[in-house]
Amino acid sequence: MYNDYINIILADDDDDDILFFTDAFENLKIKTKVKVFKDGIELMDYLTTEDALMPDILFLDLNMPKKSGLECLIEIKDNPKMSEIVVAIYSTSASEEDIEKTFVLGANIYIKKPADFIKLKKVLSKVVSINWQYHTNNLNKNSFLLRL
Amino acid sequence: MRFENYLKSEVSLKAILILSVFIILLIGGFTYKYITNLTYSQKLVNQTYNVNLQLKQLVSQLRRAENLHKNYILTKDAYYVNTYLDTKKSVNTTVQELNNLIGATNQQSQNLKTLDQLINDLYLHFSKINTFTENDSVDTKIYNSLYYEERLIMNDIINQTDIMYNKENEHLITTYQKEEEYTNYIEFTPLFYFLTLLVILMFIVMAYIKISNDLKLIKAKNELLLISKESSNQSEIIGKYGNWIWHVEANTFQYSDNLYRMLGEEPNAFEASPHNFLKFVHPEDVQKLTDGLNKMMDSKELPFINYRIIEKNGSIKYLKAYAKSIYGLDGQKRVLGTTTDITEETKNLLVLEERNLELERNNKELTAFNYAASHDLQEPLRKIQTFVSRLQEKEMLNISATGIQYFEGIKSAVVRMRLLIDDLIHFSKANKPHEVYVRKDLNTLFENAKKDLAEIIEEKKAEIITDKLPEARIIAFQIQQLFSNLLSNSLKYSKKDTSPIIKINYSKVISAAESHLSKAVEGSYHKITVTDNGIGFEQKYSNKIFELFTRLHNKQDYSGTGIGLSICKKIVENHKGYIFSKGESNIGAVFTIYIPIHP
Repeated sequence: MYNDYINIILADDDDDDILFFTDAFENLKIKTKVKVFKDGIELMDYLTTEDALMPDILFLDLNMPKKSGLECLIEIKDNPKMSEIVVAIYSTSASEEDIEKTFVLGANIYIKKPADFIKLKKVLSKVVSINWQYHTNNLNKNSFLLRL
Repeated sequence: MRFENYLKSEVSLKAILILSVFIILLIGGFTYKYITNLTYSQKLVNQTYNVNLQLKQLVSQLRRAENLHKNYILTKDAYYVNTYLDTKKSVNTTVQELNNLIGATNQQSQNLKTLDQLINDLYLHFSKINTFTENDSVDTKIYNSLYYEERLIMNDIINQTDIMYNKENEHLITTYQKEEEYTNYIEFTPLFYFLTLLVILMFIVMAYIKISNDLKLIKAKNELLLISKESSNQSEIIGKYGNWIWHVEANTFQYSDNLYRMLGEEPNAFEASPHNFLKFVHPEDVQKLTDGLNKMMDSKELPFINYRIIEKNGSIKYLKAYAKSIYGLDGQKRVLGTTTDITEETKNLLVLEERNLELERNNKELTAFNYAASHDLQEPLRKIQTFVSRLQEKEMLNISATGIQYFEGIKSAVVRMRLLIDDLIHFSKANKPHEVYVRKDLNTLFENAKKDLAEIIEEKKAEIITDKLPEARIIAFQIQQLFSNLLSNSLKYSKKDTSPIIKINYSKVISAAESHLSKAVEGSYHKITVTDNGIGFEQKYSNKIFELFTRLHNKQDYSGTGIGLSICKKIVENHKGYIFSKGESNIGAVFTIYIPIHP
């Protein structure tokens, strides 16, 4: 049943970005279920509940109130139950420092939020169609930052 | 001269002195004995002479008495009797004299007694004969025999005196013989004495020369010591330090004048002692200093101790002390200490520390600002762009022609804003000079820069001709940024109708041979020039174009932010290099970079 949909979780505190994100998936007409959490605590509370449905991809904003994306990433990769979740960092900036840190902590891809809706759609469709097994095996610092 | 030599000379001087005194005493002893002997023989000669004289006198007195007696016999004049009787007295005196001269012990005194006996006999005969004379019985037998006896006695007396005379002479001769042996012995002695004295004299002269030389030397050394003491006094004042000596065994202290001055006192204002010194030390530092001094008792070197003192006027000074123990030639332990006034340095250090803290704070603020610029400023901008793109996608048909024009205005303003923010971030990154220098192939970095600009190179159909670049020790990402900015600059300011040709030339240069490098510090540089055929600029702006936010063209025609070349200058300066530009309107521009080969 669930296999028909790609389960996606977005953790982002910015309403506009949430709007762009959900609009983009609606526009793409890919069968997805998008769950949204507005801060790190909400996200981690959900993921740690007994019967929580683990997402196929987690889009994680770094700059969030209460618990930052970086803290969430550390907790997720430390927890055996969640460590297999594909984590896509989804951030406004792409500073060398952030890229370096998240790469080392085990995130799967780094997406710099595009400034163009068309570009956003391209990015998201590319991310959901990635063969993660293959991508993760060939992951290096250059391929970590998503370029179109 | 070294101390051992002084000691050596001192020992040799002592040896000379002792030897001289010994020889002089020896010679004195010999001389004394010699003179005593001489005096003795002198006395002996005198005695012999006197004895002989008295004997002769005795004989002559007796002869006179005999004559006077004969005269009496012939004349029977009583005058003669009295006179010859008078001679008896002087004869007795002479005999007494002889007795005194000869003494009581030896054989001569025995002889004298015999003589005395004979003399008495003689005078006895005289009186017997007189009796016959007075009775006129001179022709009797007895008288004749008496007369004859008298003559015999007289002969005996003469003989006896001769015996004594001879005896005395004999004695003198034996003594003389003895004396002669001695004289032979001592004849050689004066020469020996003379030579010995000569040698001693030589020694003493040598010693004198040595002493006077040493004295001269000591005088010269003293002079030097005086000068060096004075100069050390001066340097103590200039260098703001003072010296102290601790004579450990005697537990006495010596402070240099300037040490007193450092405490704000006149030289020798108080007795040098730890007790008095500690009165000046800041209460919090007393324990530290006391511990340090105590440690000095068993260690050879005292580590630097920093402490504070409070002058009488209440001002605080920072001092630093160092000490070392030494053993003098006398085997006494001394601790030599130096104390320096580091108040100024300490205060400067405190100011510097404060400034560093301030700088650090500023840097942190700058980092925070950079973060804000790169994150927070970009976010609303990105949203504006996204909303604009959504509007363009969905609502374009509902907007009027003027609306579209406004809309395009918003779009280009937003693009420009983004450009500015990106450039500012780059500039702030170029501001960090504490990056790691690594050896990198500049060709690779240049290729990377070219890749970043691939789109615009393609679009403008630019031709880029590159020399082979070297390897260099540089901050890789900054040099790549530098290449990228210079290329982008040449591409941006290309002529509209001509496709750009950008030439990159490389050569290794010696700073003395380059007019640009007249003030250069390093000896040799990598020289890279970027030459384009773009719109160029007037030479008078060649320095101005490196200033932040300086633009020579309006932004409608050229999209520059006025930051790119500032970043280039910053990066080159981070590498202790130089950047120069040369422009000619409508011909092109040349940018020349010098990066030191051994930074």
